[in-house]
Parts: sequence; C-alpha cells; structure tokens
Amino acid sequence: MVTASPTHAAGVAASVAPILELKKLDKRFTGTHALKAVDLAFLPGEVHAIVGENGAGKSTLIKLLTGVHVRTAGDILWQGQSAHIATPHDAIALGINAVHQEVVLCPHLTVAANLFLGDEEVKYGMLRHRAMVRDAQKILDEIGFNLPAGAMLGSLTIGQQQLVATARAATRGTKFLIFDEPTAYLTRQEAAQLFALIRRLKAKGVTIVYISHRLEEVFDLADRVSILRDGELVSTERIEDTNEEKLIRGMINRSIEQIFHKDVVPFGKPILEARHLTGRGFEDVSLTVREGEIVGLYGLIGAGRSEFVLSLFGREPASSGEILWQGRPVKIHNERDALKLGIALAPESRRDQGLCLNMPVGFNINLPIFKRLTRGILIAGGQETAAAEQQIRDLRIKTASRFANASSLSGGNQQKIVIGKWLNHGAKLFIFDEPTVGVDVGTKAEIYRLMGTLLKQGAGIILISSYLPEVYELSDTLHVFRRGHLSASHGHKAASHEEVLTQAIGV
Amino acid sequence: MSSTQTEAKPASRRKLHIPFGLTLVLLLVLLFVLLSIFTDSFMTERNIPNLARQGSMIAILALGETFVIITAGIDLSVGAVVGFTSVIVAWLLTNDVPIWASVLITLAIGLGIGCFHAFGIVKMGLPPFIITLATLTSLRGIGLLLTNGATISITNDSFTNFSRNDLLNSLFGIDISPFDIPNLFAMVVLVAIPAWLFLSHSRWGRYLFAVGSNAEAARLSGVSVVRTTYLAYILSSVCAAFVGLLLASRIGIGNATQAEGWELQAIASSVIGGTSLFGAVGSWHGPLLGAFILATINNGANLLNVNSFWQRIITGGLIIVIVYFDQLRRRKR
Repeated sequence: MVTASPTHAAGVAASVAPILELKKLDKRFTGTHALKAVDLAFLPGEVHAIVGENGAGKSTLIKLLTGVHVRTAGDILWQGQSAHIATPHDAIALGINAVHQEVVLCPHLTVAANLFLGDEEVKYGMLRHRAMVRDAQKILDEIGFNLPAGAMLGSLTIGQQQLVATARAATRGTKFLIFDEPTAYLTRQEAAQLFALIRRLKAKGVTIVYISHRLEEVFDLADRVSILRDGELVSTERIEDTNEEKLIRGMINRSIEQIFHKDVVPFGKPILEARHLTGRGFEDVSLTVREGEIVGLYGLIGAGRSEFVLSLFGREPASSGEILWQGRPVKIHNERDALKLGIALAPESRRDQGLCLNMPVGFNINLPIFKRLTRGILIAGGQETAAAEQQIRDLRIKTASRFANASSLSGGNQQKIVIGKWLNHGAKLFIFDEPTVGVDVGTKAEIYRLMGTLLKQGAGIILISSYLPEVYELSDTLHVFRRGHLSASHGHKAASHEEVLTQAIGV
Repeated sequence: MSSTQTEAKPASRRKLHIPFGLTLVLLLVLLFVLLSIFTDSFMTERNIPNLARQGSMIAILALGETFVIITAGIDLSVGAVVGFTSVIVAWLLTNDVPIWASVLITLAIGLGIGCFHAFGIVKMGLPPFIITLATLTSLRGIGLLLTNGATISITNDSFTNFSRNDLLNSLFGIDISPFDIPNLFAMVVLVAIPAWLFLSHSRWGRYLFAVGSNAEAARLSGVSVVRTTYLAYILSSVCAAFVGLLLASRIGIGNATQAEGWELQAIASSVIGGTSLFGAVGSWHGPLLGAFILATINNGANLLNVNSFWQRIITGGLIIVIVYFDQLRRRKR
C-alpha cells in the first residue's frame, strides 16, 4: 500500500473529479477574518495534509466542513454539488467525519458503547450489550487497534481513547475523514496503528485530511500538502515537490534559523537533588537540576516520567528517598509546599489543569500572584492591570484584550498563558510537562525562548516531552525513563536519537 | 488580529457587562411604576417599608448563597439555618444572655455550620448538594428537639424593636418615619459593601472564581482549594445566621420551622441576578436585585389579590424567562 500511494495520487490529481471542493470559502467572526476566500480541492483517496501556525485558519476550516460553523461567503461543493452543511448532523450525513485533538466521548461508557453511540444495536427495544461488545471487538481487531471493547473508556489512556474516537469516525460509512493533530497524545506504537489505518482507509478510497504540526508525519503520510497562513491559502503542492524548509517558510513567512533555539547559560548551584526517590509508578530515581540547566525526561507514556514530577510537585509524595532543595533536605507534602519552595508546574493538559477557561486572560495570568498584588486586604487594581498587560505584551499573546475569556484564544496562545503566568511568580524550578503539544512552530520557538529567559534568571527547568527532537535538542542533561526506572542519562546531544529511543523502548 | 479589534473589545465587554445589572434595575423600576399605577396600596408609607423589610432578608441570604454558587457548589441549608438560629437566639435571650453576646454566639453557630459543610465536602468527599441537604433536614430536627416543638417568644423589646425601627431614628432619634430607611434594609447595605470589596477587589474573591472555573488549575497555581471552600460555605452560613437574627427580631419568636423554602428563594434570586450554577459567574449586586425583584412581584401580586398559588407559578416562569435571556446574552459573546 505504501508504495502504491504516490503514483495513485499523482495519477488521480489530473483526471478524477474532486470529492469536495472549496470555492472562495470565507468566514468572518466579529472582528476577525478567519478564512479569506480559500479555493481548495480534495480528491478521493488522497491524504491531504494541511499545515499552518495556530490561528492560521485550520480549525475554522474544519469547523466549516463539519458543520460547527457556517460560512460567511463562498461555497462548498460535495461531489460537484453545492452542499449545505449547517449542523454536524449534515456533515455526517454526507460522510464527513472528524477526529478532534481532544477526545469528545463518554468516559463512563464502555469502548463498545462509545463506538456505537447513537447507532446502538437493539432487540425488542433493549440494548444488546454483549453483541455490541463482540462486534466492537471484531471491528477493532479488523482495523488493527489493540483495544479492549468491554473496558470503560475512562480507564484507558488518552492515546487509547483517541484511537477509539478514530475507530468510531472511520467505521461509519465515512468518505471524508479529518484528523486534527491525531498523534499529539499517542505513543509510538499507537501512532503506528493509526498510520496503518490511515493507509488502509486511503486504499479504500476515503479522503483523508491530515492536520499536524509534526512535519515528519506529513511527509510520511501525505500525497499533497496545503499551507494556510493568516486565513489564506499559501500553496498546495504534491509532497514530492516540497520539503520541510519550504513548508516552514510558507507557514511563517520568515526564515527561522533555529526552531530549537537554545540559550547557553552557565550552570550555577544545584536547585533540586532527588536521591533514590521511589513512589507510585517510579523507582529509585536520582537526578539533579542546577541553575541554568534544562533537565529533559524522555520515555514512553506510562514510563513514570509524569508520576515522578508530580511527586516532586507534592501531588502524590514519594514513599522513600530524599529531596534536597538548594542543599537542604525538604519534605513536599502538597502543591502549596512545592510552590512555597519555588517549584512551578506547567501541566500537560491546559484545558483540564492549566487554565480557568471561562475566566479572563488577565485573571489567568495573575492567578499565582494575587497574593503579591494585594495591598492590605484589597488587590491593587493598577498593578494588576499593569502585570497582565505586560505579560500579554512580552509574550505576544494574541488576545482581544485582557478581559477576553481564555477559551477564546488559540491553543498556542493559551499555552503561553499557562507558562507565562509563572514569569512574575519568581519560581526557581519549572516543570514543563509536554509544553508544546498541539502548538505551531512559531509559538514553539517563542516558548523555547521563554525557557531561555527563565534560565538566564537563574532558574532550572525539568522538561518532559514525548517529542524526541524537542527534549533531545533542548536538554543539557537527558534522562531516559523505562518502566519506572532511569534507564540512561546523557549530556547535551551526547547520544544519538536511535540510542535514546532504544533505551526508552528497551529492545 | 488587528489593533482596531484590540481597542474595540474592552468597550464591548463593558457594554455587555453592565446592561444585565442595568436590565434588572430597569425591571425593578418598571415593576414599581406599573404597581403604582395599577394599585392604590403599593406606593404607600406602609407598603414600601414593608416591601423593603421583606426583600432584605432574602437578599442577604442570596448574597451568601452566591459565594457558594460561584465555586460551583450549592448550599441548600440556608433556610434551615435561618430557622435554627432563630431558635438559638430566642433561647439565649429568654435566658437573659445580653443581646450582643446572643448575636455573637448565633453568628458563631452559623460559622460552625459552614465549617461542617466544608468539612463534609473537602474531607469526606460528599457532594455539596448532599451535605447541605442533610443539614437542611437535620437542623430543623435539632431546632424542634431543643424546643420540644414549641415556639419561643422573645420578650426582649430592644431586640424586637430593631427590625421595626428605621435607621436614622434608631441612630439619632430623628423621626421622619415613612421616609427613613428601615433598619433591615440598612443591614443589606451593611453586608453588601464588604461583599463588594471581597468579591471584586480581594484575592479571596478571585479564588472563589478560580475554584469555580477550574479547581485543578487553581490548585496548580497555588490556590488553596480547601481554604477557599471553607470560606465560601462559612460565608453562606454566617449570612444565613445573620438573617436568622433579623427574622427572630422581626417576628419576635424563635421557631425551627420558620423560613421554609427560603433556600430556594435565595438560589432563585441569585440566578435571576446572573449567577451561573456552573460556577465562576456571579456578582455581588445581582442576587440583591434578584431578591428585590422577587419580593416586589410577590408583594404586588398580594396587593392585586392574585391567588397565592398563581404567585408561585409566576415566580417559576420568571426564573425561566430571565435566565433564558441571560443565556442568550452569554451565547452572543
């Protein structure tokens, strides 16, 4: 199948009529022109990648195709005929489905129940639970997903839930399937299962729209790639006619010499030393973070990285071992202990853990420092405004104002708040858990620069990432986790990608 | 994102924010105008102070309730706390405890009840609905048990006179009777000013919103969710105990079955005032306006001789209409 794909698409591009065509598609929101007269054609059986920075209009495009929003002007042609897609139901009826970045399923139902949600097997008005689990398992096995159909969805990892959502979208007579950052939370194996499914769907003639910030995936999967920038279509090219350089230049319209911008900062005294820490999910972990140092933690999901840092943050204290903070032993029982010492955590999930979404941007930025902004018993309004405005300016957060709700911002800008709110706090050790998931190249570079600023202020950073190039390029010291243990430690770029991967997987 | 948009947005937000409060004020004014036109007995020196007294107690109750609702919680016990504390203060006064001590003890009991609610939520992991439902029934039981079901009459005249008197008269002895501010209404102001400072200008007020919006994010940002929860439920119960004092003063008795259903009126007032039951949305002025709108409607219905059964139906319909319009307004944003 892999070998067949490029020729297939190239041949098709000339002759076959597009399944879906955008004609001068336009979308305006109050104050924003999100999509500007985009012309684009999708062919049957192609994998069409769409790349662009956050806020380039990718999400808006998806929402127009899936009936979440309705276009302002232009037309959407489905198999040559003007299609009226006003509700998600309209889209599904045509055969357009989407797998979203965040899983939108019911965690309290089984995998099978989620798979058949809205389309249940019924006999005499009663649900046929067992039959559904059996059929679901058959479907999952068939498409090559290693998932238990009878398990509660909520008991699975986010990656597995993502696969369930994919299976659901792929098995409902879909002709047109949109993936929005599908691999953000997947392990390598899960990603491989997903890619295999995409290739099979493609072979069956399903059109795939693939949106990802991971360009290597785009080159791995796509037949054609379109670049969006500021709501406009920059180009559509066959994948063999382009390269990473060209894509990045098209996306940001400025050449970035280095995405993985790394400031070299001389190391200072140790900030935190963990000695033989053991807790739930990790065993005998020892490491040191010094001033000006980025300590990277790499490992597969479930290898114990997140559990380890959460124990440092007092979430679930370690059962044995010792933590030294600036040279003296400390006990960290809860988050407040950690914050009092000067440990700040930018959590993995900005929606669930990072932001008060329905509160204003300024509120979120200042949340950790309201205490410091308090004069007597009341908050000094002027200082509050100044602190918020300064952060919005310094971090270049794209927001209508500091009064806009955090939910109105794009993912990258939300992430800037999650990290930026600690800049005024004066913490000494920063834990970044997957700081660039679902964030575009431009914002990534800004987040890396932000880390450099922190380092220069004498802070230390623990960086967790499932994205190897990121931890690899940025870490001064890279620790590899495997099944709860540290399996290896390296200096800056001291080992090759392959070595690190091998140590993480443990072949 | 253009700079014009950046400048335009704050203004539009302010435009959106104030009108809801303003709409409520206009609604209240409209009710006053209509009732003055269609009844002879509304704009009278007897009725207006009476209305002010009626609305005041629910207003204070609703304000306390709002703190809890902002944290995405609910306090069903406030009506029972009112009844219970009316028994306590009546009992204390008949046993010759001085007024100041009786007031402090009663408020302290309110504080204790709030602590118990927060303890149940934080330490025992009970949903707010359940723990406050439990105290709703059991507090009335305890109150009845203490008095053996009897009503305690309060014979302390200076205590009972308080709620019948007006502000200037009781402070300076100036008698301008129908134009003076009833003491009960003055109590609303007494509670509202610190509530405004607390909710809009203190970090603890912000923490209520943070916990209501996303408790996990608040915790990771160094907000003590435990303390914030204690604070919210304590404020609610202390407000309720305070209303218990006012009620005991107004009707001159302590009885655990008093204030039946007031918790629902308090929640309704709060919601009419723009508070969201999903948390993180609410103001200090909304519940006050909501309470007086409800009080005016009930008062007007009485004067118009509307069947009291109909009053309940009207109240229900009003809740739906106002909250629906608020919802429309939010969706537009």
